[in-house]
Amino acid sequence: MRIARDGILLYINEVGLSLLQEWHLQCGQTVPPALRDIVTQTMNEGVARTYDLKHRDRDYGFSVAPILEAGYANLYCHDITDRKRAEEEIRTLNAELEQRVRVRTAELLAANKELEAFSYSVSHDLRAPLRAVDGFSHILLDEQGTQLPPETQRYLSLIRSSTLQMGRLVDDLLAFSQLSRQAMIKDQVQPAALVREAWDLLRSEQDGRHVKLTVGDLPSCQGDRALLKQVFVNLLSNALKFSRKRDPAIIEFGCNCKDGENIFFVRDNGVGFDMRYADKLFGVFQRLHRSEDYEGTGVGLAIVERIVHRHGGRVWAEAEPDKGATFFFTLGEKIS
Amino acid sequence: MSTNNIEILLVEDNPNDVELTLYTLQKHHLANRIHVVRDGAEALDFLFCRGAFESRNPNHSPKVILLDLKLPKVDGLEVLRQIRRDERMRLLPVVIMTSSREERDVVESYKLGINSYIVKPVDFDQFSEAVRQIGCYWLLLNQPPIF
Repeated sequence: MRIARDGILLYINEVGLSLLQEWHLQCGQTVPPALRDIVTQTMNEGVARTYDLKHRDRDYGFSVAPILEAGYANLYCHDITDRKRAEEEIRTLNAELEQRVRVRTAELLAANKELEAFSYSVSHDLRAPLRAVDGFSHILLDEQGTQLPPETQRYLSLIRSSTLQMGRLVDDLLAFSQLSRQAMIKDQVQPAALVREAWDLLRSEQDGRHVKLTVGDLPSCQGDRALLKQVFVNLLSNALKFSRKRDPAIIEFGCNCKDGENIFFVRDNGVGFDMRYADKLFGVFQRLHRSEDYEGTGVGLAIVERIVHRHGGRVWAEAEPDKGATFFFTLGEKIS
Repeated sequence: MSTNNIEILLVEDNPNDVELTLYTLQKHHLANRIHVVRDGAEALDFLFCRGAFESRNPNHSPKVILLDLKLPKVDGLEVLRQIRRDERMRLLPVVIMTSSREERDVVESYKLGINSYIVKPVDFDQFSEAVRQIGCYWLLLNQPPIF
C-alpha cells in the first residue's frame, strides 16, 4: 500500500485489503494513528525500516520505504502473529527454565552445605575416639608392657596399627570429599617443575633404595597447579611403592602426542597388576594388592581420577603382573 | 588447688583427650598448675572470674590457653572472640588444639589472633610429642606479654 506524508491512504492492493480487513482501510481516507505514526517517522528519518504493530489479537510486520520526493511511503505488510507467538513461547520457556535452574541450584547448594557439615563432623568426631583407642593402648603397653604376656602385647599392637589405619582412611576420605568442593584455579603450568616438587615430597619413600627417575620432554599445560601436583605425587608415590622390590627401581615420567592430544604417562618397573581388574583401579577404597604386601587406603588413584576429570581429561592404565605398570592421563587440551 | 596461679588453662570437652593430655604433661612434669574446663561457657567464667570462679584473682592469667574448637554451649571461636575483645586478655597466648583440619577453621582462628594451631594427631606418639612441645614451649621457653 502507499500512504502520503499526511496519513492519507493513496493505494492498497487486494492482498493488503484482505490482510488488514480489521483495520477498515479506505483509499482517500486517513489511516489509523498507529499506521500514520510509522509513516511520519520514516518520512522524517528518510530511510527504510521495519515496524511490528499489534492490532486486536494479531501482529503485523511493516516494511516502510519512504519516497521523499513524491511525499509518500510504500508499505509492505505481513501477518507475523504465529512467529510472535512462538517467540513469546520461547521467552516463557526460558523464564521457566531459569526459574527451575534457580531452584535446582538452591537445592544443590543446600545439599553441598549438608555435605560440608557432614565432613566437618566426620573430621572432628571420628578422629577423637581413634586417638583414645590408640592412646590408651599405648599407655597400657608403656606401663604394663613388661608384665603382659607376649600375645597380649601383640594384640595391643594390632589394635594400635588398625586404629592408625582407620585414621589414615578418615583423612584420605576427607581429602577426597574436599576435592570436589575446592575451587579450581587454572593457570599455565610447567609439568617438569611440578614433577621435581612432587618427587622431593617423596624423599622419605626413596630412602635406602636405588631409584632412577627419568623425566621426558613435558609440554606446558593448562591446569590447577596444586591439584596437578597432587596427581603427580599420587602417581609417583604409587610407582615408588609398587617398585619397592626392584633394584634399581626405574620410574619414567613422560609425554606423547597422539591425535592432537598430549598424553602424559608415569611408568614403573614394579609388580604391575592383572588387567582383568583394571576397572577397579580408580574406585574409592579399591585395592588390587593385599595390605600386608603394599600398604594404602585405596584413595590415591580415586583422587587422581577426580582431578583429571575436573580438568576435562581421561586417565587409564596398562600393566602386566610383575612387568610394571604405566598410568596415562590427558588434561582435556587439544593441540592445534 | 587455687585457681589463682594456673599456668595452663585446658578447654576440652572430650574426657579421653583430657586424660591423654594430662597423662603426657604429667609425664614431663608440666602438669602441676593446669586447670581443666569442659565447655566454652566454663572457660569464659574462669577467664572473666565469674560464676564458680568469682573469687579468682583477675590479675592472675594463665601463661597459655589450650583451646578446642568444637565445644558445648559456647564454641572455641566464640571464646576466642571474647578474649580478644577484652583489654586485659587480648594478648593472652592461645593455642588451638583441635581435630579439625578444615581450612576455614584455621583461617578464622588466625584472623582472631591465635598464637598457634595444632591438629591433634590420631597417633598417640605424635599426639604426646605435640603436647610435650607445647607445654615446654609455652611454659618454659616463651616470655608471656603480661603479668
